[in-house]
Amino acid sequence: MSSNGSQPLLEARNVVQEFVVRGRGGVKGGVVQAVSDVSLKVMPGETLGIVGETGSGKSTLARSLLQAPKPKSGQVLLRGTDLTGLKGRDLLDARRSMQMVFQDPFGSLDPKWRVEDLVEEPLIAYGVGSRTERRRKVREVLDLVGLDPSVYGRRRPRQLSGGQAQRVAIARALALDPALIICDEAVSSLDVLIQAQVLNLFERLRAELGLSYLFIAHDLALVKQVSDRVAVMYLGKLAELGPAEALYREPLHPYTVALLRSVPSPDPEAPKAAAEEAISGDPPSPIDPPSGCRFRTRCPHAQERCAVEVPELRELGTQHAVACHFPVVQRSANGR
Amino acid sequence: MAAQLPEADAQVPSLALAPAGAELERPRGGWLRQLDVLVPGTILVFLLFLFFVWPVIGPVGKPTGGNILNANIEPWSAGHIFGTDPVGNDIWSRILYGGRNSIEIAFSVQFVGLVLGGAVGAIAAYWGGAVDMVLMRVLDVLIAFPALVLALAIAESLGPSKSHTILALCFFSVPAFARVSRAATLRLRERPFMLAARLSGTGTGRILLRHITPNVLPQLVTFALLGMGIIIILEGALSFFGLGVPPPNPSWGNMIFEGQGILSAEPRLVLVPSAFLFITVLTFNLLGDALRSRWSSV
Amino acid sequence: MELGVTDHTASVETEPQAGDRAPGAPLLELRDVRVAFRHGGRRLVAVDGLSYTVAPGRTLALIGESGSGKTVSSRAVLGLLPPTATVSGSIRFEGEELVGLSERQMRRHRGASIAMVFQDPTRSLNPTMRIGAQITEAIRVHQKLDGKAAKARAIELLKLVRLPAAEQRFVEYPHQLSGGMRQRVVIAIALAASPKLLIADEATTALDVTTQAQIMELLRDLQRKLGMAMVMISHDLGLAASFADEVVVMYAGRAVEQAPTRTLFANVRMPYTKALLEAIPRIERPPHQPLPVVPGRPPDLAALPAGCPFAPRCPSARDLCRESAPPFGEGEPGHRWACWYPCGSDGAAPA
Repeated sequence: MSSNGSQPLLEARNVVQEFVVRGRGGVKGGVVQAVSDVSLKVMPGETLGIVGETGSGKSTLARSLLQAPKPKSGQVLLRGTDLTGLKGRDLLDARRSMQMVFQDPFGSLDPKWRVEDLVEEPLIAYGVGSRTERRRKVREVLDLVGLDPSVYGRRRPRQLSGGQAQRVAIARALALDPALIICDEAVSSLDVLIQAQVLNLFERLRAELGLSYLFIAHDLALVKQVSDRVAVMYLGKLAELGPAEALYREPLHPYTVALLRSVPSPDPEAPKAAAEEAISGDPPSPIDPPSGCRFRTRCPHAQERCAVEVPELRELGTQHAVACHFPVVQRSANGR
Repeated sequence: MAAQLPEADAQVPSLALAPAGAELERPRGGWLRQLDVLVPGTILVFLLFLFFVWPVIGPVGKPTGGNILNANIEPWSAGHIFGTDPVGNDIWSRILYGGRNSIEIAFSVQFVGLVLGGAVGAIAAYWGGAVDMVLMRVLDVLIAFPALVLALAIAESLGPSKSHTILALCFFSVPAFARVSRAATLRLRERPFMLAARLSGTGTGRILLRHITPNVLPQLVTFALLGMGIIIILEGALSFFGLGVPPPNPSWGNMIFEGQGILSAEPRLVLVPSAFLFITVLTFNLLGDALRSRWSSV
Repeated sequence: MELGVTDHTASVETEPQAGDRAPGAPLLELRDVRVAFRHGGRRLVAVDGLSYTVAPGRTLALIGESGSGKTVSSRAVLGLLPPTATVSGSIRFEGEELVGLSERQMRRHRGASIAMVFQDPTRSLNPTMRIGAQITEAIRVHQKLDGKAAKARAIELLKLVRLPAAEQRFVEYPHQLSGGMRQRVVIAIALAASPKLLIADEATTALDVTTQAQIMELLRDLQRKLGMAMVMISHDLGLAASFADEVVVMYAGRAVEQAPTRTLFANVRMPYTKALLEAIPRIERPPHQPLPVVPGRPPDLAALPAGCPFAPRCPSARDLCRESAPPFGEGEPGHRWACWYPCGSDGAAPA
């Protein structure tokens, strides 16, 4: 394996994922492109945040990266190896460094299993070590997430709180010593204070283990809290991608602007931005997306060109790319 | 080093309206609340004792080979609490041995149904696609037959015997369990923990065995209990038609069959086995229902 | 100087004067409300002595995490609790006592003067009934209108909630609408009889951020137009900051802090509220900053410790806190809290 420092840990190239929508009576009704030509990279030790609303395709993208199921087209390279061409044992071996934590802490744990069995499962599947060694590893990762193995090891999920259950899910993800963890709305269903605890846990693991994260969420502040770079998705496509600070301070895509304006700030003194100005209407149907730029039906600055030509992701600032014919920077330059 | 969180013991969810998610362990509070299981459970244990243990250890006569001189003795007579039948057999012992036969048959049928039907349904649901379609169409054919007609046809062609009865009734129970198992597995398949298990690398066989089975089993067990009554009655119906358990061996069904000829003269020949049939089926149903309401929340 | 609040079109932005009361009776008044459940043989107190008032046309935010009792207390207002619940205390709406009303008497209020909107619009709507039918049903429960008049009113309501293509939506089914549109329909149904009070229980939690913003603005706009008061239940302090006049923070079934919004955020007193504020990720902060965090979990409501329920987790807790529960008192005009050692008191002995 190449030890090139600048080789991305995970690279997605032109990933497309489709679903067949069944019409009445099971007839093929149409095809939804949930993920449409998405390319991105996660460098070692980096956290890439993915932000988007319902129908943005962010969760589908996560599953496609894990090949569950395989994307319709495109490549997914983990440490240089293309996962899309692999199957069975080869895929398992190649995918080992990438694990996932789900949104619903209880949904992702088999209610009939005990905590220690849940955490041990990946170790057994990959045939790691002897039973004693596996048990030792289980204790080790449970400690790492702040759960005392002697207290929690024999418990079942229904004897845990939401925060504890999510920690078990994280421990399970850590069992195989992954390099990258995909967090799909991993803290969204937790209470505020517990959420903060788990976020701090993520940070600590990042510092202690050098983990990379792909952090998917719909909460903008949350994503910024944990990310180095952030990608904004809309209806299956990347709208904007850039360093966290830069993207939030100077968003280039009108959708990003709308998102940021819609977030209620916990500061009563802050001016109340009128969301009506930034975005209008409801998200269109993913089955039949608008032609050209998919955001144009809600964009306050849409022009004719937007209906005709699909905007490509172009880099405007340092590592800051946007897919828009009239990004915010240009507009202010033109005085529009 | 991980900061240790102060631990509280397992907590009670705050209320019936708590956000969906944690069903933390809660003590069910005393035996009074367990009555819905304890009452039918105790009765069932008693019945099983009665049918399986008592004839061995207690003063119970033989159910067959009665002396015609003893025919039609009245109930409450010495040694024959329910009297005797027209052939001289003690009715009480026929009830007991008949009950044993009925329950043995029902248990065997349900057991085969659960294991075989459960497996077929789970496999069909997990694999989906062509496998699912083929398996289910085959079972559909069997389900489409009215249960009784199917069982009768098979028992008729094989000839009456206890094991043939079991076999015939399995054609009824296996597809039924397969349907339940398939539905349960389909629901389970979409749960995130199934995806998590696959992502962990767990193979299909292990997933079926360690993930699907423990989660589907409670439903199948309650289905089995609720079906015990149906099977016992079906067996009774088979016996009624002269199939089922062959005379002189008793089963509640053939006792009723034999007794219905002289119903007006000696109604007890029909009523007594019917009463025991009723109580036993009711007990199974109550127990099955209580367990279902208990397990369906998990 | 008293600032009268009878004016239904009073702007929501006006700073309420400290300690002011409407010259008339408040619209909704809770006093020492307690709700207990029998749960598996144990007795569980979900709400333990909650008091607040809502003046006509104003918005009160009820903030808390799971288990705080915010939802239960609101359902108690409309009598929507299961039979295992016992409600004590006083809930007065326009002076009329609601606790202890029969089901029939309660129904006069439900939807008519007090309406409620829930979290998940998909579950609030009947999937087998057309939108129009569901709205007209709600209209005709409270008003004697014939079919045509009811339909006209229904479409008027749909337009009021800014549902695009209202006439077309009238004949559609819920599944044909997006989440945001469904919530608008739910709000339209709630408004059918022009209620004076709307209880919004996490009404926007299930919606996207952009939709949430639209719906909250819609609600605020409707409030102004209709002079309607609102109780918004949420875990999101950001929402409260942007849309509420007054905030009540709940923990373990009790109110632990209450103040007009600006006062609360400028001058937090209760350590729990402070912990909530600090634990929220902020867009203004740079990434990777550790969040100030309070350890532990909310307490078991069936086995509350003696003393302040937050004491086991509170960074400022002392012996007194563990021994005896602090009273919920007005420490400063208009600002109430329940804490022996509130923030900013520098550990001085409690009053």
